Amino acid sequence: MLPATRQEQKEATRERLVNAAMDLFARGGIAQTTTADIAKSIGMSHGNVFVHFPTREDLVIAVIDEFGRRLATEFRGAFEKELGLRAVLRAHLRVLSELEPFYARLVTEAPLLPLKVRSTLLMLHAGVAREIFIALEKERKAGRARKFEKPMIFNTWIGLVHHYIVNRDLFASGDSVMAERGESLINHFMTLVKA
Amino acid sequence: MASEKCPACGSCGFPMEKPEDFALGDTSRPYCRHCTDARGELLPYEQVLETNASYYEQSQGIKPDVAMRMAQAMLADMPAWRDR
Repeated sequence: MLPATRQEQKEATRERLVNAAMDLFARGGIAQTTTADIAKSIGMSHGNVFVHFPTREDLVIAVIDEFGRRLATEFRGAFEKELGLRAVLRAHLRVLSELEPFYARLVTEAPLLPLKVRSTLLMLHAGVAREIFIALEKERKAGRARKFEKPMIFNTWIGLVHHYIVNRDLFASGDSVMAERGESLINHFMTLVKA
Repeated sequence: MASEKCPACGSCGFPMEKPEDFALGDTSRPYCRHCTDARGELLPYEQVLETNASYYEQSQGIKPDVAMRMAQAMLADMPAWRDR
């Protein structure tokens, strides 16, 4: 095997930092976790963190971007197979359930996080909304769904999901409320939009 | 799940996975189709800003002034705009 290039090493280190940050943010909260904590957890010098992420905000955003990349991959699969609204909702919840401990912290702390971080999260929501709008419009044209005001129907979905995620200890006995309750949320939403 | 790394637009951060996501469908281009014109040139900052603000408004009903501030915050550190 060829030795890793400098660029590959840099990317690998960056990925380790993102994964470690996601883990610590999930356990200790985003606002409470320091870059020093993250560096220590993977045996890295504190200064080295800033070689990869000039500010703490940049590291938080990189974690959200990783989440966004996973969503994009899931949505592409649902879109290419033309599986419809239910598949789009399932793709959304599948990624949320994989990253649920981090996501729960993110949505709980979002109003207190810097605007740049919040903007990144809400742009991610815009991407999810777009997929839902496209799928919903297809359902509507096929006579299976009613017409809705776009922001209102997306906020209905995301509000429902976030309520269960933020209060996950009240709704699930295992690690993931989305794994346990996700299908019933999807069924409810599909009933709501039905023509 | 292993995530596939894909490049992000240097103007707005949009993940570019498929050729049609890139300007002119050319995967060597640094910007996405939303941030470029018919010749593949980067659009003016104000236009990209308005487009991004409209995403917030149209998807989630965010107030126009807040949507504009969020778009400004999003674009501030992007390679295309950080030195402007």
